[in-house]
Amino acid sequence: MKRSTAEIVREYGPFPDVEAVHGVSYDGRHVWFASGDKLNAVDPESGKVARSLDVAAHAGTAFDGRHLFQIAEDRIQKIDAASGAVLGTIPAPGGGGDSGLAWAEGSLWVGQYRDRRIHQIDPDTGKILRTIESKRFVTGVTWVDGELWHGTWEGDDSDVRRIDPETGRILEQLDMPEGTMVSGLESDGGDRLFCGGGASGKVRAVRRPRRS
Amino acid sequence: MESLITAAARALEAGDPLGALNRVALRNDAPSLALRGIAMAQLGDLAKAKTLLRSAARAFGPREAVARARCVVAEAEIALVSRDLSWPAKTLAGARASLASHGDLANAAHAGHIEARRLLLLGRIDEAERTLAEIGASPLPPASLVVRDLVVAGIAIRRLKTRDARAALDRAGKAALQAGIPALVAEVDSASLILNTPAARLIARGSEHPLLLGEVERLATSTALVVDTFHHVVRRQGTAVSLGTRPVLFALARLLAQAWPADVSREALISGAFQAKHVDESHRARLRVEIGRLRTQLKPLAGISATRQGFELAPKKTRDVIVLARPVEEKHAAVLAILADGEPWSSSALALALRMSARSVQRALEELARSNKVQSFGHGRARRWMTPPVPGFPTGLLLPSPLAKA
Repeated sequence: MKRSTAEIVREYGPFPDVEAVHGVSYDGRHVWFASGDKLNAVDPESGKVARSLDVAAHAGTAFDGRHLFQIAEDRIQKIDAASGAVLGTIPAPGGGGDSGLAWAEGSLWVGQYRDRRIHQIDPDTGKILRTIESKRFVTGVTWVDGELWHGTWEGDDSDVRRIDPETGRILEQLDMPEGTMVSGLESDGGDRLFCGGGASGKVRAVRRPRRS
Repeated sequence: MESLITAAARALEAGDPLGALNRVALRNDAPSLALRGIAMAQLGDLAKAKTLLRSAARAFGPREAVARARCVVAEAEIALVSRDLSWPAKTLAGARASLASHGDLANAAHAGHIEARRLLLLGRIDEAERTLAEIGASPLPPASLVVRDLVVAGIAIRRLKTRDARAALDRAGKAALQAGIPALVAEVDSASLILNTPAARLIARGSEHPLLLGEVERLATSTALVVDTFHHVVRRQGTAVSLGTRPVLFALARLLAQAWPADVSREALISGAFQAKHVDESHRARLRVEIGRLRTQLKPLAGISATRQGFELAPKKTRDVIVLARPVEEKHAAVLAILADGEPWSSSALALALRMSARSVQRALEELARSNKVQSFGHGRARRWMTPPVPGFPTGLLLPSPLAKA
């Protein structure tokens, strides 16, 4: 396992009227983040909120190319990114103990925080397809280049780690600086990982190490 | 953090404890227990809240020190509001240190304020003041400033410093409005009542009337000869004779002062000061001795002359004699004085505050209850005593959110 200190390349926010960041996603243009009763789209260049959708947003956020998925209470909402309309909901696998959310390979991946697990579920029915055990409280989840990354937050420590999707073994770990929490994770498809900053109300971009 | 926990925490913050309970009612993980505890406290079920918060503190893992410490602080605050003063102060001190070391200064200060309030209730005023000083004047949220100034006011009132008390209450009132928490505004208002409610009785020339705290304070500069039953001293301006260790002499001085300018019969003095049922010749001899001793003690302030039927006080350098007494004076005045805060007290907390045995307090309470001067509710260890309730019963809860919000 490779272990290093996370390199924070940029910080966004805090934003007006945002108490905390609960989930993060990226649609190719904007970084979306969940702030309780809103989904907000941030322009990663200017750092400004471009638009906001009024929708319950208590934990992880994901994007499948057309729709946003957002955990609220004990369900996952499918949201039209253009209009903000909730098109449908499926039950969340953790029954409300859910934390991170990612889209990959036609499935949704859901972190179950205190149970230290990640579920792969059917995005139409919510059926659990398989479960990966992690060793830490899971917050954000994301896939990039066939790599499964997730954020952890346990007590007063957070890190971002890449795990073996088959076994759950840790392959690489980026430790966040002390007091910096990860409450959501999304890759930009390149070398940036966007991390929700919890009660700091910030979103941070962390450099994804190139595999040698 | 987790979805439902986030939703429940948001409901709590929005003042919707039932909405919060709905979301976590059936869950038993640490954050759910903590949220349920806070919700129950807001709904007024303090016993249940305490149990839940204790379970939550246990359920948080060793790496979740801050969340655990916040639960301890919340539990201590609930104990304080329930006037259960027997909880371990050490646990709170530990939680306070842990919060401070993790940079949660606002909640660390909150823990310090709870400790100071506890000391104030226990009458350990100097310690309460030291604890406040430790917290320092670092920037605090308005709600914490309210609590701080309430403690400052409480200390000033106990020390009879009305002006300081009023200034602290004014500051507290402004901060409460800024915090926008109605319960805090009400608590400041009800604390201000103390300054406008009789704190003592003044007995002079055979009649008596109630005194406000400020008037009591002003008496310190009066030129009258004051027999002060709060401190068991006889004084005139800067000159004071302490009779704290001579209860019989003090009782005689008080009887003479109350009757002044009239005299007091030997019989009245004997039955009043010696608690004697039948007066015989030996009592008369003892009275002569005790009056002689009192005369020696009071020499700088007053003389005592014999009259045909007894004795009379002859104050020096003043034309006024007054007695300063507690507003309600009877056998269990001390117990009543504490219950006068309108809060429910356990008999063990009263015993701690009064430095009396639990049994004596129990006897006093039962006696007072028979004459309808106090009432109790609850049974066994949960039994609480209070004087007939006052309006605006303050809850005083300002619980820390036990969760690191995400």
